[in-house]
Amino acid sequence: MKVLEVKNLIKEFSGERSIVALDDISFEINDDEFLCIVGPSGCGKSTLLRMVAGIERATSGEILFHDKTINSPNEKITMIFQHFGLLPWKTALENVELPLEAHEIVKEECRKVALEYLGKVGLGDFVDTYPHDLSGGMKQRVGIARALAMKPEILLMDEPFSSLDELTASTLRREVLRIWADPNLPTNTFLMVSHNVSEAVFMADRVIVMSPRPGRIVEDVKVNIPRPRVEHTRDPKFFDIVDHIIQVIEKACGANVSGCEEITNSQK
Amino acid sequence: MKRAHAFGYIVGFVAILSLYVLVISFENNPEIGNLPYYTFRTLARISVTYLIALVTGLLFGLLAATTKTGSMILVPLFDVLQSIPILGYFPAAIIFFISAFHGAEIGLELAAILLLYTSMEWAIFFGVVGAVKSIPTNIVEAAKSFDLKGYGYIRHVVLPAIVPAIISGSTLAWGDGWFFMIAAEYITYGGKTYSLPGLGSYLAKAAYEYGDTNLAIVLLIIITILVVYINFLTWHRLTEKAGLGTYKPIFKTDWSRGLGLPAMRRLAHVPHIPRIHISFGFRHHILSASRRRIYTRIEKGMALVSVIVLVFFVTIVAKPGIPSFDDIKKSIMIPEMANLPFYTVSTLTRLTIAYFISLGIALGMGILAAERKGFALIFYPIYDIGQSVPILALFPILFISLSQVFGGRLGLEITSLTMLVADMIWYLFLNIVTAVKTIPDEIREVSQLIGMKGFKRIRHIVLPAILPAVVTGSILSWATGWNTVIFSEYMPHGTEVLWLPGLGSFLDKAALQEGNTILLGFLLLVMSGIVIAVDRFIWRKLLRKVERYGTEAM
Repeated sequence: MKVLEVKNLIKEFSGERSIVALDDISFEINDDEFLCIVGPSGCGKSTLLRMVAGIERATSGEILFHDKTINSPNEKITMIFQHFGLLPWKTALENVELPLEAHEIVKEECRKVALEYLGKVGLGDFVDTYPHDLSGGMKQRVGIARALAMKPEILLMDEPFSSLDELTASTLRREVLRIWADPNLPTNTFLMVSHNVSEAVFMADRVIVMSPRPGRIVEDVKVNIPRPRVEHTRDPKFFDIVDHIIQVIEKACGANVSGCEEITNSQK
Repeated sequence: MKRAHAFGYIVGFVAILSLYVLVISFENNPEIGNLPYYTFRTLARISVTYLIALVTGLLFGLLAATTKTGSMILVPLFDVLQSIPILGYFPAAIIFFISAFHGAEIGLELAAILLLYTSMEWAIFFGVVGAVKSIPTNIVEAAKSFDLKGYGYIRHVVLPAIVPAIISGSTLAWGDGWFFMIAAEYITYGGKTYSLPGLGSYLAKAAYEYGDTNLAIVLLIIITILVVYINFLTWHRLTEKAGLGTYKPIFKTDWSRGLGLPAMRRLAHVPHIPRIHISFGFRHHILSASRRRIYTRIEKGMALVSVIVLVFFVTIVAKPGIPSFDDIKKSIMIPEMANLPFYTVSTLTRLTIAYFISLGIALGMGILAAERKGFALIFYPIYDIGQSVPILALFPILFISLSQVFGGRLGLEITSLTMLVADMIWYLFLNIVTAVKTIPDEIREVSQLIGMKGFKRIRHIVLPAILPAVVTGSILSWATGWNTVIFSEYMPHGTEVLWLPGLGSFLDKAALQEGNTILLGFLLLVMSGIVIAVDRFIWRKLLRKVERYGTEAM
């Protein structure tokens, strides 16, 4: 079933020189789907994510959530951030409680829900700790708990693992997949932005590949690798898909190779 | 030079010229013909002092930032020197220079330059120290690995790093120079008035001697226009050229800009900022950092001792011969000394009230200006002009108008509070605007995503994010408040003298009426002690408490 539909989206930043960030983007996400958008830096993928979150306006085109246009933030769509987006002056618990409180939920209920979700991400012992005293991985766990506590339908992730060390990132990737597959959680549609191709292939059902600015969709790749994929990361098929996507990106970059360096280097 | 700029300069120059012609032909004050000459003298005085401050600030700054001994002695010494009210030391300096030059005008001129210098030096010094210290370690290491030393190191690493700080420090210094200009040109000591030809002294004379309020207002307007015009001519342009074109105090080097790496991920979120020059309010950023890190308690103690020695040296030299113990006792043990605790409390109360008024207004204006373009368009020009008006020059005019409405005593009390607010508010405003503007995108997005709006957003997001900046802004606003107190509690009114109970007026009476150097020195020590105590027991504690807040640590 179709949950989210992006139709002919165009984003232009006007200024001294106006810049077309996104050019005619259209795609759909189904219920239960894990979709990842990859592309070189500056291709507008983060902007796209923010438009789905309702905090950035499209220049033209629209985004439909259950057939209704998204104009403002929706509590059924939440987000986790590259740099975690935690408020340094609030404890882990208070950070998770804040969105709940903002939606006029009773204080005791907020606390209960927040504690429950902090427990789910394994931070039951750190509820009163300030972000400053948490490791990067723990901070992102707080970010995940905060996003899930709202019981959203769609979880948006903006390069959620790129500011973590590789070991922490790989643990957290598996944990995110576990959350995605958990039938007891209402959140089962995930949309992630990444510039790490193997990460995308490891996690997503579908990978949308974007070109450098102005961002266009150059290919929509289906990842037909059975789950759990931990068992298949050494399969030739896995590498085939990764190589294919890198080739698509390199071709899209053309002469503008510098923008692609980051993405190809991160694979080697 | 862009054509639009050149056009602006010429229009401005013609406008000022015609203003002078108009004023000179329609005012009938006997001295009005000297207006251009006074303007020249004042400008020359400030420029010469600025050049001295620039050269010494650079030298001392580089010395303090690059050598261990320099940093151990200079940084704490300058920190203490800049946090004690300079105005109080001025009478002592006057006496010294007058007696040294046997009453010649050059002595007075040197005293004025000294006062201006002590107000201008710190911004440049701390700017240079802060900028050099903030050169990233990897750059320093890269320079070392390529064997860049001595002149090459200074030329290719240090100079590019400190240019923005020199420009913003100069802007501050220049503003401080105008602020103290009237005090430097017109001073009463021991019942005698000394004045130097200049705009400041002319304004003071217009108010105190001629009692000509209209002339005083006209002069105040002329001074303000001059300040704004010269800022536009010099600092605005330099700020733009250096690529600082932001409304943001510079206290460290932006290496991402310097190395040509545009660090803008999302262009649309870079706010459009009106062209406005940088001004006060960066010094304490460095100070708050240096207070916590750069030096230790022992170093601060050393600095305090050297300052006390310095003060006694000045006071003793001012009064030839070393005063005997009896002299000291006789000078200090006057009946009025019993009021000292009461005076201290009243001055502190006055400062506290003015501080909270300033904080309230600055918070409202600052948050609105940072978040809403419409308000920014109104508040930035108000700020630009507001902080250009030499507050001390405003004093007599404000008093004359307010005393007509409220009577002498109450009028003076209101004038004093207004002056304090007009002086303290800008440091807070600039800090708050800067802090609100630098709240990271992610934090803004989080608050948008979770639907935080209005008062809830201010309480949970904005206020905690700007708290450290508010505290550092408060430190500087108190420091400048202490200076203004000395000037604003005491007012010659016709034949009598009006004064408000307070430390400032006590100090003024010791200096202006009695010329009691020993008492003056003693009161300065008391005042410096209070300033340092407030700093130590209130602000430092607060700084530590708010460490968790703010977004720098993210």
